[in-house]
Amino acid sequence: MTKVLEVSDIRKNFGGITAVDGVSFDVQEGEILGLIGPNGCGKSTLFNCILGQLTPSGGEVKVDGKVVTGLRPSALNRLGVSRTFQLLQVFPKLSVRENLILAGQEHQGSMLSRLFGPSDAGLTDAADQMIGFFKLDHLATEPAGGLSYGQQKLLDAAMAFMGGPRLVLLDEPAGGVNLTMLADLRERLATINREKRATFVVIEHNMEFVMSLCSRVMVMAEGKVLAMGRPDQIRANPAVIEAYLGH
Amino acid sequence: MTGLPRYLRIALGIIVIAGLIIVPMNFNRYGLFILSQWAVMTIAAIGLNLTLGYAGQVSLAQGAFVGIGAYAAGIMTSQGLPLIAALGVAIILCFAIGWLLGYPALRVQHHYLAFVTLAFSTLAFLVFRNEDWLTKGIYGISNIPRPNVFGFPTNRPLPFYYLCLGSLGIVSVMVWWLIRSPWGRAFVALRENPIRALSLGIDTRRYTLMAFAIGSALGGVAGTLYAPLTQYIDPVPFNLSLSLDLLMMVIIGGAGFFFGPFLGAMIAVLLPEWLRFTQGYYLMLYATAVILLLIYSPSGLLGILDRLMAERRTRTASALRAVAKSRLEAAP
Repeated sequence: MTKVLEVSDIRKNFGGITAVDGVSFDVQEGEILGLIGPNGCGKSTLFNCILGQLTPSGGEVKVDGKVVTGLRPSALNRLGVSRTFQLLQVFPKLSVRENLILAGQEHQGSMLSRLFGPSDAGLTDAADQMIGFFKLDHLATEPAGGLSYGQQKLLDAAMAFMGGPRLVLLDEPAGGVNLTMLADLRERLATINREKRATFVVIEHNMEFVMSLCSRVMVMAEGKVLAMGRPDQIRANPAVIEAYLGH
Repeated sequence: MTGLPRYLRIALGIIVIAGLIIVPMNFNRYGLFILSQWAVMTIAAIGLNLTLGYAGQVSLAQGAFVGIGAYAAGIMTSQGLPLIAALGVAIILCFAIGWLLGYPALRVQHHYLAFVTLAFSTLAFLVFRNEDWLTKGIYGISNIPRPNVFGFPTNRPLPFYYLCLGSLGIVSVMVWWLIRSPWGRAFVALRENPIRALSLGIDTRRYTLMAFAIGSALGGVAGTLYAPLTQYIDPVPFNLSLSLDLLMMVIIGGAGFFFGPFLGAMIAVLLPEWLRFTQGYYLMLYATAVILLLIYSPSGLLGILDRLMAERRTRTASALRAVAKSRLEAAP
């Protein structure tokens, strides 16, 4: 199996506070790795360090064997690394379809060719397929700002897949999503993982979601890796129960 | 505007264009001057709307770019060079300076960026005023000739108005193309949420610089027409107040709306003229109207239209949801 993501000894300090303290892990191709831990344990900071939104204080990140530490998020995205955010990050004034076209357009040709090419960058069909896949058909032309919270979460996730990424980092995709939509989202993610061999790292507090979706789970506490293993091993780990899951 | 049926939009567009061509045929010299000024200022405001309205980058330097274009035209055409050559120089010069001015925008935003561009505006004004060898300083450049276009002289006000209107038409089509292209979408992403834009592979640095450079180049285009319009230029019209006027045009019309600058320039250029019958009160009335408008609709005149259409869409969507819900509930 190929390692898609290799994180070695990543550290991030904010002044005197160490948010991420020497975290190392690998993610194999086609794997779904869950990342759990109490609030403030450094999960999102770790994501931001991997994705170039923050410059790590130390350590190294590799994607497909290539060192990408400190690379800008836009460059990383063009290498096939995509993400969603903890808080909603759709473009409210653009329609659902335009949001999806925007999410994929930078992967189509050069900047100059995009200026003189078709206005949709040739992505309307791909966007409509994604809209259908995430069951947003009836909302294709609606401004994204007018969608319900759950629908915007689905759109946010769909946007992450428009560029055909190899690796997707999802930050709390289930947060605030109702149970029906949650089941939909889990099913969609599992399908993409199975059919496209896409690799995911998922931060989530919803244990049922994590345990049913992920093949491996990493637990963080106070900026460090507390445990790593299969969902059943994590459920039974006394240190994890003590620090996060509770009895 | 997008809420109107397509045929109605086309009909409205044809009526407005025909009106802009036919009605001014009966205008006197002053009326044509004002209308030409509206076309020129609209071009400059379209440039600022691209930088500010679409890409979200504040600039108080658009007046300086109009000045650079005007001086390029004034200096070159006074030396017997054709206006088209001056236009080329103005576009290249303003594009390059605009690109450089965009660099601070990569580090500072909002009012900090406004101050950086304000400093540039002051610097440009000082160059216009103090570099006598090039700009003739406070004495200005007079007798700026009007060009011949495809052999037709534009010395008289009406042909020159048509030149300004034609230029506005060409600029409008190009900018319409730009904002409908993936670049336009990237500009909007840059304005709405630069962090998310980055995560989608959008090179926000390059698009920021492009937004500044293209917007500035359009300022240069406006300046190239301004010089032969007034046939005399000195540094005063290109001080900070022109940048503020252009900013006001964009805000009043509706920043980020394609037709915002057209409407904003119309109000800023034409309304003071229409209010002249009130004699000494016209500036007070004008200022009051602007204040009231911005209190009622901070997103400008087209913002009001947009809000009304959004409300209509919401009502329609709610009705559709209610129908869908009732059908679901009725289903066995």
